[in-house]
Amino acid sequence: MTMTRESEVVRSLVEMADTLVDDYDLIDLLTGLADRCVNLLDVSAAGVMLASPAGSLGLAASSSEAMRLLELFELQSQEGPCLDAFRTGEPTGHEDLLAQSGRWPSFAAAALAAGFRSASALPLRLREVTIGALNLLSVTRTPMDEADVIVARAFADLAALSVIQHRASMQAHRLNEQLSAALTGRVVIEQAKGVISERAGITLAEAFIRLRAYARNRNLRFTDVAQAAVDGTLDPQAWGAPPGRLS
Amino acid sequence: MRERPDRLGRILTALSNGSEAWTAARLCQTCPEIAGVTGAGVMLMSGDVQRGSVSASDEVSHLVEDLQYMLGEGPCVDAYRQDRVIAEPDLADPSTPRWLAFTPPALRAGVRAVFGFPLQVGTVRLGALNLYRDRPGPLNADQHADTLVLAGVAARWVLETQAGAAPGAVAGELEAGADFHFTVHNAAGIISVQEDISVAEALIRLRAFAFTSDRALTDVARDVIARRLRLG
Repeated sequence: MTMTRESEVVRSLVEMADTLVDDYDLIDLLTGLADRCVNLLDVSAAGVMLASPAGSLGLAASSSEAMRLLELFELQSQEGPCLDAFRTGEPTGHEDLLAQSGRWPSFAAAALAAGFRSASALPLRLREVTIGALNLLSVTRTPMDEADVIVARAFADLAALSVIQHRASMQAHRLNEQLSAALTGRVVIEQAKGVISERAGITLAEAFIRLRAYARNRNLRFTDVAQAAVDGTLDPQAWGAPPGRLS
Repeated sequence: MRERPDRLGRILTALSNGSEAWTAARLCQTCPEIAGVTGAGVMLMSGDVQRGSVSASDEVSHLVEDLQYMLGEGPCVDAYRQDRVIAEPDLADPSTPRWLAFTPPALRAGVRAVFGFPLQVGTVRLGALNLYRDRPGPLNADQHADTLVLAGVAARWVLETQAGAAPGAVAGELEAGADFHFTVHNAAGIISVQEDISVAEALIRLRAFAFTSDRALTDVARDVIARRLRLG
């Protein structure tokens, strides 16, 4: 590997690591990764597949349309380097697609038809968990040299890390939003109790009972009724003493 | 500087002292020992809204949080908004003059140094961990680093606890021992009707009244609810 390429690789890794710090779009990051594989490694096309929570693989990013179609074919026929790397959690090693007794006969035929000559795939793995695979295709039959294999490994590891971190971050955002919404709901209800208590001349506890009964009877969400009370748009019936009841 | 595994081990040992489940309260009680401070509290915030206190280790910590809730300024508010650690090692002779409303009552309560550490998980910001000491002085490097870990643990605890909540609800463990100032919101509802103003404006008036009469916001809110006090 020449010095310029080495510094290019380092720069790519640093750039990708940088994007992990802030909010980022996962598909943009993975597409960038596929493009970098093509620019920096001795490969012609690259693609990333990710597993769904249910465990089935799907397309995430491809360096070209030809690659995208080939990966779709791989998924449909349930045969190919990505699937093997994902299932075993290990690199597939280099495969000459013209070799007889190949591992993936239908995939090889489709890849050859698309102009490719050799293929390999690396798992996206963090410790024991495999979350997807990186597909690398070449128009020549020459395998990547050792330095390229190491760089590809680093790219795959970084991709795995970014996917896992992204999922954790999405989960944290979701929980924080839920907590925030739940607290806002509680606050609006407490404010509504104060509003109704003053309007109807009743205690806070009684105001709560009337608001809740009104919401239940009309099949409305309690927080919506409370918000209407706070906004001053709630039907006055809501806080009047219920019919038939001595007050 | 100690090695990180040692640091984490020490903190986790302190947190899991005994077999009791560790909570925000446990975390706040651990802070004095770990960070060499007098008390600690965990404040929740979202957007520009201060939610209140999840836990506070003592009365003074509770007051430090209440003051910030009432005044909208202080170390936690700054730590959350500026997304960084805020340190005031000598509140009586601050290097940065700030918190003009917060500082006098905090000093009167015996607070001499205050620190705010943001609570975050990744890019999600939840509030701040609040530390105070009854004598001036900065945190040393170890105490600072340990508190960063504690703040991370507290942030994850909040989210993981909320993960167990029913849809639309605040997790029970999160509310136990918390003070989300619901009384203040009851009073704001009452005032909004009495004065024919919005609830948001009623909250502002309530805060202003408590501050100018040098009273705790909760006490004023209780008087409004009991109809012993009418603003305006």
